[in-house]
Amino acid sequence: MKTPDAKRRILRSGKTLWNLADALKAGSYQAFEKALGKDTQEILEEIFLSGLRGRGGAGFPTGTKTKAVHTSNTHGCSYVVCNADEGEPGTFKDRILMEEDPHLLLEGLLIASLAVRASHAYIYIRGEYGRSIERLQTAIDEARKASWLGEGIRGSSFSLDIEIMRGAGSYLCGEELTLLESLEGKRGYPRIKPPFPAEKGLWGKPTLVNNVETLANLPYIMMHGAAAYRSLGTEASPGTKLVCISGDVKNPGVYEVEMGTPLKDIIHGPGGGSREGDEICFVLLGGAAGTFASVSQLGIPLCYDALRKEGLSLGSGAIMVFGKNASLKDILQNILGFFKHESCGKCVPCRTGTYHLMQSWIGGCTNNQGERKKLLPQLVAEARNIAQTCLCPLGQSPVMPLESAMKNIIELMD
Amino acid sequence: MSRNVSVEINGKVFSLPEKTNLLKSLRDAGFDVPGLCYHPRISPTGACRLCCIRIEGLRGISMACTLEVKEGMKMITTDEELENLRRVNLEYLLSEHKDEEDRSTFDELAELARQYGLDKPENRSLPNICDALDFPSDHSSPVLTYDGNKCIKCFRCVKACAEIQGKEVLSMASRGITSYIVAGFGVWGDSECDGCGECIQLCPTAAIVEKPHRSEIDVYNSEKAVRTTCPYCGVGCQLELWVNNNKIVRASGTEGLMPNDGRLCVKGRFGYEYVGHPDRLTQPLIRKNGKLEPAGWDEAIALVASRFGIIRDTYGKDALAGYASAKATNEDNYIFQKFIRMVFGNNNVDYCTRLCHASTVTAMIRSIGDGAGSNSIADFESADCLFVTGNNIIETHPITATYVKRGAAKGQAIIVVDPRYTPLVRYAKVWLQPKLGTDVALLNGLIHVIIREGWIDQTFIENRIEDGMQAFLGLKELVSRYDPAETERITGVPARLIEEAARIFGSAKNAIIATGMGMSQQVTGTHNVFSLINMMLITGQVGREGAGINPPRGQNNVQGATDVGCSPMMYPGYIPISDKENRRRVAALWNTDVEKLDGRPGLTTVEIVHAAHEGNIRGLYIMGENPMMSDPNLNHTREAFEKLDFLVVQDIFLTETAQLADVVLPATAFAEKNGTTVSSDRRILRTRKAVLPPGEGRQDWQIILAIAAAMKSDIGHYSDEAAIFDELAKAAPIMGGVSHARLENEELQWPCPTPDHPGTPTLYLDRFNTPSGKARLFPVDHAEQNEKTSTEFPFLLNTGRILYHYHTSTMSRKSEVLNAFANEAFVLIHPADAFKRSLLSGQKIRIYNDRGSIEAIVKTDEGVLEGELFMPFHFTESRVNMLTRDELDPFSKIAPFKLSAVNIEKVTS
Repeated sequence: MKTPDAKRRILRSGKTLWNLADALKAGSYQAFEKALGKDTQEILEEIFLSGLRGRGGAGFPTGTKTKAVHTSNTHGCSYVVCNADEGEPGTFKDRILMEEDPHLLLEGLLIASLAVRASHAYIYIRGEYGRSIERLQTAIDEARKASWLGEGIRGSSFSLDIEIMRGAGSYLCGEELTLLESLEGKRGYPRIKPPFPAEKGLWGKPTLVNNVETLANLPYIMMHGAAAYRSLGTEASPGTKLVCISGDVKNPGVYEVEMGTPLKDIIHGPGGGSREGDEICFVLLGGAAGTFASVSQLGIPLCYDALRKEGLSLGSGAIMVFGKNASLKDILQNILGFFKHESCGKCVPCRTGTYHLMQSWIGGCTNNQGERKKLLPQLVAEARNIAQTCLCPLGQSPVMPLESAMKNIIELMD
Repeated sequence: MSRNVSVEINGKVFSLPEKTNLLKSLRDAGFDVPGLCYHPRISPTGACRLCCIRIEGLRGISMACTLEVKEGMKMITTDEELENLRRVNLEYLLSEHKDEEDRSTFDELAELARQYGLDKPENRSLPNICDALDFPSDHSSPVLTYDGNKCIKCFRCVKACAEIQGKEVLSMASRGITSYIVAGFGVWGDSECDGCGECIQLCPTAAIVEKPHRSEIDVYNSEKAVRTTCPYCGVGCQLELWVNNNKIVRASGTEGLMPNDGRLCVKGRFGYEYVGHPDRLTQPLIRKNGKLEPAGWDEAIALVASRFGIIRDTYGKDALAGYASAKATNEDNYIFQKFIRMVFGNNNVDYCTRLCHASTVTAMIRSIGDGAGSNSIADFESADCLFVTGNNIIETHPITATYVKRGAAKGQAIIVVDPRYTPLVRYAKVWLQPKLGTDVALLNGLIHVIIREGWIDQTFIENRIEDGMQAFLGLKELVSRYDPAETERITGVPARLIEEAARIFGSAKNAIIATGMGMSQQVTGTHNVFSLINMMLITGQVGREGAGINPPRGQNNVQGATDVGCSPMMYPGYIPISDKENRRRVAALWNTDVEKLDGRPGLTTVEIVHAAHEGNIRGLYIMGENPMMSDPNLNHTREAFEKLDFLVVQDIFLTETAQLADVVLPATAFAEKNGTTVSSDRRILRTRKAVLPPGEGRQDWQIILAIAAAMKSDIGHYSDEAAIFDELAKAAPIMGGVSHARLENEELQWPCPTPDHPGTPTLYLDRFNTPSGKARLFPVDHAEQNEKTSTEFPFLLNTGRILYHYHTSTMSRKSEVLNAFANEAFVLIHPADAFKRSLLSGQKIRIYNDRGSIEAIVKTDEGVLEGELFMPFHFTESRVNMLTRDELDPFSKIAPFKLSAVNIEKVTS
């Protein structure tokens, strides 16, 4: 099922627009040109009023963050960093955006940089995203040639250059402070927070770190205004969301859906419902650092607050659908193994805790189903301990799938 | 100091210093908050998660080590949940850690485990996974071992290496649970680790432990730890010597005290082996039938006294001379110069400072008034610009270099001037590589650009330089011909680099100059430093906090020995002997007749050798110096010493010089002495006795007094070293307010004229120490060197030092650890020259000229210029000073160690 054009904010008409000529025909850079005519306060206010929230997973209000960077930038130096290190399992929306419509991201970066008066922006991209990197680089080169980037853009006093930095395969580098460490050429360890990047980010300067999808929303907001943007979605979660449907469905893929759409409408709508002869048993929302939802919970609308109220998470927009052949035991093992593997090792609870969680589960898996059901609450308690004192979001993650599995779908334990 | 603010801790109000680390402040206030990854000398890491506390207004649990004290903070440092979380994290740590008692080091983890009742494995709830993880160990370093099984990955070693020492050799290998520490690419012994051991000092467990004496140390039953001052270079690092059974078994840096705040280099931490070395002299030796034979003290002292007496009576008092020691204490040296002046009755007292910074001191005294560094060591970190010339600071003053590297990390612009590559170049914005002997031209070239661009400080020139702008115009006139093109022609330094360096220095807010042997050890040594001071003066980079000129001193007390009067021209405190009023004052203090004090300047070091060669000096008393390694033109020195009627050497080893002596007197090493030394930044530091001397070794000052008494001279009676210092303080006004008692609790830098004076961190804030109170410009021209290359001797040889050895190596080569790093003489040659001569690295060559011939292993190195060679002077088997000249700088009498024409040839075995 195709999303009607009127309900699109990001995926423009579904065409590939990676040449500048095609992108311009589709309206690229018009929003930026409009923004160039505005003063910084107007741009900040527009973003703020749109109610846009960060699409990387945390859902922090983008306008508030942008304003904070603008306020911190008292010495005329700030940076904008696009977090394109899309590493959450089951998430592949940013890749599609960057491959199909790279100029949309560049335009978003231009608007964000204009808002915080940055003259240098970086795209920190997952190293495995070869095609995205290639197309983004081509887009940057073309944009620079056409004076959409570089010194004195379109004859204005605004200058911006964008550089691509390839990640080297660490999940944790998708965490914003770790990403900044890596971007500075250091090993990907998380930084102590505070200070937040808005105060002291890249090379100690105020830095706006936004997800690809978040930035891709900015051209629409600039072009049509906050009110038009808010015409879709809910009061607290305006706009649309890219979702990545995968697993045991007929039509896995990336879809743009209106915020507030019930989960089941997404799974059964664009996702096409379960495959022939299968049935939907449970769903993992938001990837490994996400939450399990039971079938009975699929009526919940897709938006930050409604999900949070249920103890669920929207996260990056990953919706992994599991049918009757899925093994919850194996999925949990896989998730715990993932965290153990990706733990950077800097803080004690995460380094050793993720290892012990994994070992305990493997140990438990040799026992029977009843034992495993009893083991799960123990792991949840352990994971809570880790989450309480760990240094960065990675250590806070294992408790989410474990706890939601325990609460919502423990009866499905195999 | 930050102001105190009130905070609420566990319901009670406390006053803590604002913006300081919260964990440190809590601990200082008496709260026992656990934590293993935090150390006050490194940035907070937040790795161990043990210092968890609860702060009102902050969500969840916070880590005290990652926060700063703020006004009005309210916190809970302990409750059931916090203790539980600490126990959980401690259990996590213990689960990946091998329990194995190692009493050679304080194990902070084991201590915490005991505190939480987790020391016994049966009390723990998690399985131990250490064996499964199979962490690697590394024993390849000469100084330490790393055991991954005991490592808690707290990052303290990594940060010690990077943040404290600026070396960045250590890092974490692998990821997550399999993480462990590696040096370089993985093998400690093959890495760039230079063995400073900062990581050992900061390791909270027994993961990184030093190798030497490991089995002999039990920290829980240690005999004693004595705080003292390092015996190596002139930084003056404070360290603690651990002693078991009258044997030093460990040295560790004393934290919280300047100049080093706990930092040490490889020599300071591991170079103490010589103190207890079996080669130490244990009894006096007297030459009988050409051989040195053991003798009793009475016999030796009587012989020395009678032979000196005979020489004095036969040839007159001018036939006697003495070498004081840059390695002995102020007290020893004070007594030594008093002996020379009262018993020998002349001013023939000098020491190796003459071969080191004599030219620097001469120029500094004439231009600005004091022959010592104008700043404190910390200014090397805070300056915006650092101009390092002829000073291989990373190797020769490793702890000063830590300040430099920390400054560089914060954006300090470093200019290095050196004819060969030194490790500091890596941190520098500009490296100027002049041909040997062209420093005056280069500095004049820099001054030329500075004046041309108007980067001068006219207010400073007018107010603080004698004859103000008129003097400046004289300098301007002189440097007018040194435009960048001409300067490039003379020095070989590209004009654009001259422009760049002049811009950096000329536009710096606060600049510090460090000048070393490369500048001073030349026939133009004094002129080199005049030129340097001229540049500093016209830019106003002196006379205020954070700016000035500093000659880092090569030995622990090279500064102090001159400060206390071991100079042929000056009494203690730089008071000229030529002035009768001064002599009268000193005579009164010494309880002697003013007429008995000689008002004529004495002979300097090399002049003494010349005089001996000519038969004018007949008797020589050498205390703790080894001129047979350190003097120039050693064959000539040997001839001179052999011509002496009588040579007395007082030392701790049978040095190259002692081997020529008629009487050898066994003295004491630093760890056997009480007293003081003075660091490069004029800090008066205590040396404290930790062990007893071997055999019959005696205190230097007591030996001197015994000789004086045997020569029927009364030069004073002293109960101890503190009493000697009290007299010295009366003699030298710059130390007038200093006493051993004050030094127990205070850090004092001279001048400190009165007991209530706080000492002087920076010189010349109000006036220069010249008669007029103003600084003086001494414009100097470049002069061609007399020593030139020829077809016969086509190479110019430069000499210097390396990190692992010290001066004549009497001390450092007794250390197995230091020898493991470097134990072979080498000569650096440019690859193009090596190619022309068909030489490969590792081959043995002969280096020779008219003065002598030595052999060494060749190393090709792009860091030296074509046509130039470099050799360290530490190695007795290849004494490079066989080849150096004894031609002197006319003003300071320093010898030109840095430039000798030589030839080389392959040695075919």
